[in-house]
Amino acid sequence: MIRPCDMMAVTMARLIRDGETVFHGVSSHLPMVALLLAKRLHAPHAVHLNIGGGVDPAIARQDGISSAGGNLWADAAAALTLAEVFDLSMRGGLDVAFLSGVQFDSTGGVNASLIGDWKQPKVRLPGGAGSAVLIPTARRAILWRTKHDRRTLVNDLDFLTVRGHVSDLVTPLCHFTMHQGEMILKSIHPGTDIETIASSTGFPIRYIRLDSTPPPTPAEMAALKEVDPGDLRNIEFRS
Amino acid sequence: MSKLTSLRDAVRAIPDGALLALGGNTLNRAPMAAVYELARQGKRGLRLVKTAGAMDVDLLCLAGGVASVDAGFISYESHFGLCPNYRKGVEQGQIQANEHACYTVISALRAAAYGLPFMPVAGLKQSDLPRAHPYFARVRDPFSGQEVSAVRALRPDWAILHVQQADELGNARIEGPEYEDILMSRAAAKVLITAEEIVQEGHFRRSERKAQIPHFMVHGVVYQPRGAAPCSCQGCYPADEAEISSFLALEDAQALTSWLHERGRAGI
Repeated sequence: MIRPCDMMAVTMARLIRDGETVFHGVSSHLPMVALLLAKRLHAPHAVHLNIGGGVDPAIARQDGISSAGGNLWADAAAALTLAEVFDLSMRGGLDVAFLSGVQFDSTGGVNASLIGDWKQPKVRLPGGAGSAVLIPTARRAILWRTKHDRRTLVNDLDFLTVRGHVSDLVTPLCHFTMHQGEMILKSIHPGTDIETIASSTGFPIRYIRLDSTPPPTPAEMAALKEVDPGDLRNIEFRS
Repeated sequence: MSKLTSLRDAVRAIPDGALLALGGNTLNRAPMAAVYELARQGKRGLRLVKTAGAMDVDLLCLAGGVASVDAGFISYESHFGLCPNYRKGVEQGQIQANEHACYTVISALRAAAYGLPFMPVAGLKQSDLPRAHPYFARVRDPFSGQEVSAVRALRPDWAILHVQQADELGNARIEGPEYEDILMSRAAAKVLITAEEIVQEGHFRRSERKAQIPHFMVHGVVYQPRGAAPCSCQGCYPADEAEISSFLALEDAQALTSWLHERGRAGI
């Protein structure tokens, strides 16, 4: 049995190319682990940028409470503050931003702000953090969400926090990719099928070529355990 | 001239309704001792500014002291989840949620620090945020004629920053992640420093690691060991999970009052 957090971490890691500048923010243990995995395997020169402000931290001490803490600074060689990471993206120097939200539509729109009417929201969400400026300015925004249901993948967002350069969306069931402005199904994770995905998705499922997501390889699993001995990639599934 | 004072007196100087920038990020190096004291003194109508807040914002919301929050992200992150008291206050219409991108908080503080009324910002084009909030606008680049997004300046009345080291004059040094603290010290009209350690006058002169916040910008210094707890403080202590959980179990402002009183007796 493949755990969803392992499948998601591996799928997200495979999207990172060698040499790219990559940012993750708060509540982002899963993309952090994906980035560490990519750096361990196929993308050793990917550059890890974060809120703690350390560039390419070794992360000798894992922190399960925050993905924006001092451990991301402590054993880095260079410092780049959060403000400067944003500046980098604004001037076109950030390749990949990992971001999440609570609702996503088929045009790559993201809602991380609220449920209901914005003047009197039914649920006030944490907010999009950097999304509203990073998704339009980073070369690619990779979205992830550990829930895949009709309340998450919707036809109509309650509020558009941002739309921009979304390239991919990874969920526990599958991998979507953006094609000509439309979110299409790219691959299905092991253990599920297209009927399940279609019935769990609020927008119509379309695809050009449908693949099965390759399961994590033994090398990927071994590297995952090395870069994430505390299983932080599973935090969002536990809470 | 020494600016060393007690936490109680320092916080007394902050008026109800103040636009208040809080240092740190989520559960890291937030000025929690000062936040506790703001709640104990029953401050009202505070307008909080922070890129990413957590227990600091949530506690003041439970205390009933918050009118508005300008921030990009308000949550305890994945482990502890959403801020229940902030959520409730916004959903019941008592607290105004001024959602920003974290970067537009930075840009708004930069505008204040640079002495400007607003700051142009890339991004924010396809977003409901500018429609929902009057502090965003589209302006014309006077040189190219093209439109660009802009955010109104945020000039805090006070910034409260917890640091590892300060001297009595107010020179203050942050070790590890700076987050937006240095910028806040430039943007705010007044700065209150709480410090893990008060170093001798002359310490920073003899050290290669200078204070990043110079004394003349600082209006009060408080010796406050564990002043960020139960949040983490780089090089000093990690976040205290049990204490955060204890706060999250509180049901109302009355429970918070006794919770803060217990901690006050223990010298926290």
